[in-house]
Amino acid sequence: MRTSRTLGLVMIAPAAIMILLFYLMPVILTGVFSMTNMSTATGISGGAFQVTQGAVNRLRTEMPEIADAISEPRFVIDEAGIAAVEAAGLASAIAAELRTEHLGEVHASRREAERMIKALKERPSTRQTKQISDFFNRSVINTRFESREALMEGLKKLGVTLTPEQQEAMARATYTGWVWTTDNFRVIGNSPDMAQVFVNTAFYVAVTLLLFNVGYALFLAVTTHYMPATTASIFRAIWLLPRITPVVIYVLMWKWLTWDSGFISMFMGQFGHPPKNYLLDSAYNAWFFVILINGFIGASMGMLVFSSAIKAIPEAQFHASEVDGASRWQQIRYIILPQLRWPILFVTCYQTLSLLASFNEILLSTRGGPGRATEVWSLAAYHTALQNYTGNLEYGLGAAMALVLVVIGVILSLIYLRVFRYDTLISKPLIED
Amino acid sequence: MRILLEKFSKSFGSTKVIEDMDLDVGSGEMLALLGPSGCGKSTTLFSICGIHRPTSGRILFGNKDVTDLPSQERNVGVVFQSYALYPHMTAAENIGFPLTVRRVATAEIRKRVAEIAALVHIDNLLDRRPSQLSGGQQQRVALARALIRRPDVLLLDEPLANLDAKLRLEMRSEIRRLQKETGITAILVTHDQVEAMSMCDRIAIMKAGEIVQIATPSEMYNDPRTAFVAGFLGNPPISFLKGTAEQGEFVLGDGSIRLPLAALSGMPDGTPLMLGVRPEHFGNGGDVPVTGRISFAETQGRENLYDVMFADGSVLRSIQPVRGDLKPGDDVRWNLDSKAAFVFAEDGRRL
Ligand SMILES: Nc1ncnc2c1ncn2[C@@H]1O[C@H](COP(=O)(O)OP(=O)(O)OP(=O)(O)O)[C@@H](O)[C@H]1O
Ligand SMILES: [Mg+2]
Repeated sequence: MRTSRTLGLVMIAPAAIMILLFYLMPVILTGVFSMTNMSTATGISGGAFQVTQGAVNRLRTEMPEIADAISEPRFVIDEAGIAAVEAAGLASAIAAELRTEHLGEVHASRREAERMIKALKERPSTRQTKQISDFFNRSVINTRFESREALMEGLKKLGVTLTPEQQEAMARATYTGWVWTTDNFRVIGNSPDMAQVFVNTAFYVAVTLLLFNVGYALFLAVTTHYMPATTASIFRAIWLLPRITPVVIYVLMWKWLTWDSGFISMFMGQFGHPPKNYLLDSAYNAWFFVILINGFIGASMGMLVFSSAIKAIPEAQFHASEVDGASRWQQIRYIILPQLRWPILFVTCYQTLSLLASFNEILLSTRGGPGRATEVWSLAAYHTALQNYTGNLEYGLGAAMALVLVVIGVILSLIYLRVFRYDTLISKPLIED
Repeated sequence: MRILLEKFSKSFGSTKVIEDMDLDVGSGEMLALLGPSGCGKSTTLFSICGIHRPTSGRILFGNKDVTDLPSQERNVGVVFQSYALYPHMTAAENIGFPLTVRRVATAEIRKRVAEIAALVHIDNLLDRRPSQLSGGQQQRVALARALIRRPDVLLLDEPLANLDAKLRLEMRSEIRRLQKETGITAILVTHDQVEAMSMCDRIAIMKAGEIVQIATPSEMYNDPRTAFVAGFLGNPPISFLKGTAEQGEFVLGDGSIRLPLAALSGMPDGTPLMLGVRPEHFGNGGDVPVTGRISFAETQGRENLYDVMFADGSVLRSIQPVRGDLKPGDDVRWNLDSKAAFVFAEDGRRL
């Protein structure tokens, strides 16, 4: 008994590992990333501490004096610097004079420090002056510290001493690595850009789904049902073409159709319209083509599912409804559609999720343009996290956007199940009562 | 309403199923279409209700030619072999469907559904879906759906095939009662001869797309036109003996049985013949004694059934009141009623 149970566990272990690796891990990792501010700038491993101009700006509101103090370059004549001068093999008089005359001086800029060095009895050359001044450069601005302790040490050398709270704020402001944060969701919630992308997505999904993936698919399935068998299969095969054409080629054909020297321009040219790119000409046109491209690809699946579901309705029901006096339209309304409830639910659910998640057709055709007119959520997430023009890829924000998409998908599916009364679809009829 | 089929033919592609059929069903009559599987009963029925279009010929309801009328406009009620109930509708919605599609007011539909449901005794089941009903209940829902819009013609395609023996018996009389009460013209398709004989005014026996004989049940039983008809009616069925004509007598193959038969006078000697004897005409009185050995015995409760084998291997069936004195292997000498026997030519024609 025990051994058989162990054996069972051993046998499902590979499958369990696969599920864990390829199904659960991506979701979990997305969740994890979404709670960070990871980006190209922070990297994905740990970071360092760097007093960048940005960090100084951030600190200025909290502690203006300290911010000013650390933002200036500082040249401090200290033992360490003098030792370095000695080691550099310059005239020993230079080091000696610096120790006796200038030890402890702080110069606010390189120019000031170099004037002092130039004035030394030994008269160092310009090149040497530069070399010597570098030994005393104690500026923290744009210096990289590997740890928090090193940062504090550097600041102390600069003559800046901080209270523990100030140290905390300083560390936070200058840290270059990623940190845990919920800011991503705040950004998503508050940004007007995000709101626009959200509206775009809702529009795109709703219109494509209603008009094509379900509406047009139903129309095709029902009309082919009433056609002679061979005509119907030819018709269905034609509608499958967009699905089986490689998407890059398919979209390219649309581009040929719509661009400046394409078919539409040529055709409109006959009527005196100047050639233009009809795809990216205006937001309306862009949406028009984006929806057509996706709709023609998406309609075929619904058509196949609905067709086979209609085929599964016993022929006798059609005969019966005919002698009962039902017209074609009544047959569709009372006999076909009610029995397609489950396939419609399935296609709606499936296609909502796939429309929400897929953006390749849009990426290939409009790239979200013109401007950001056809930018949908998944494309925006892609642009945020994986490819954009500024070069700073915000993995954390992108992951958060993906997570929002997952949540929306789940919520929509639950709503569909309620609307289509899934419980009545799966509950078994009671024969006794 | 009278139904008339004139030179009606139907083929599917190159398969000819029905050729030049003439059929006349009187108003208020119930006619059985009886025949073996595949003989074209359903095809005929589907053509009458308009699901199939005739290849040639005419179909008339009363004086109206409905040949090219779509089913929606023919006002026929059909009970399909599979019932064809709509699984997503309740019994009430199923029954009311013909009215729903005619846009009858909801209250009126509810009233008429209640009426018709009471007629077929399913008033307490109206909220159930077909999957929640037994076969007999489904059948009654289908019947109610066919009747609700008061059709001119009721067509029933083997409506009782799926029922158990007891329910079948009940539904037989119930359908007949409803048909008589409503005075509707009905055609019942069946391959069960008992059903046809007990329910219908007349029977049309079909074979390979043709009507072989059309008559009342008793006419058909007592006066079959062919051996096929004689073989189709009667339970237990008629048995046949092969022989020849000889001086006005029927002579069994090996000559062990000779029957003088009026029908054979003037028949040339040696004409091959078939003699049909119903089980009740052998062993219960009669005039010609024949000798054979019991090869099979079976009791049916009230009656016993015996197969008697003769020297040449041919067999006659006999049905008799229960008696306990005979068992297989016993030799018997029973009388055969030569006046009730049918003589058929070799091709099955009755002589
Ligand atoms: N759609 C069709 N296409 C081709 N042949 C058909 C078609 N429908 C019926 N047939 C043929 O017509 C013949 C008669 O069929 P039909 O259904 O009328 O038989 P039936 O008498 O009702 O038999 P059953 O008692 O088995 O129901 C059969 O040989 C059948 O194969
Ligand atoms: Mg049939």
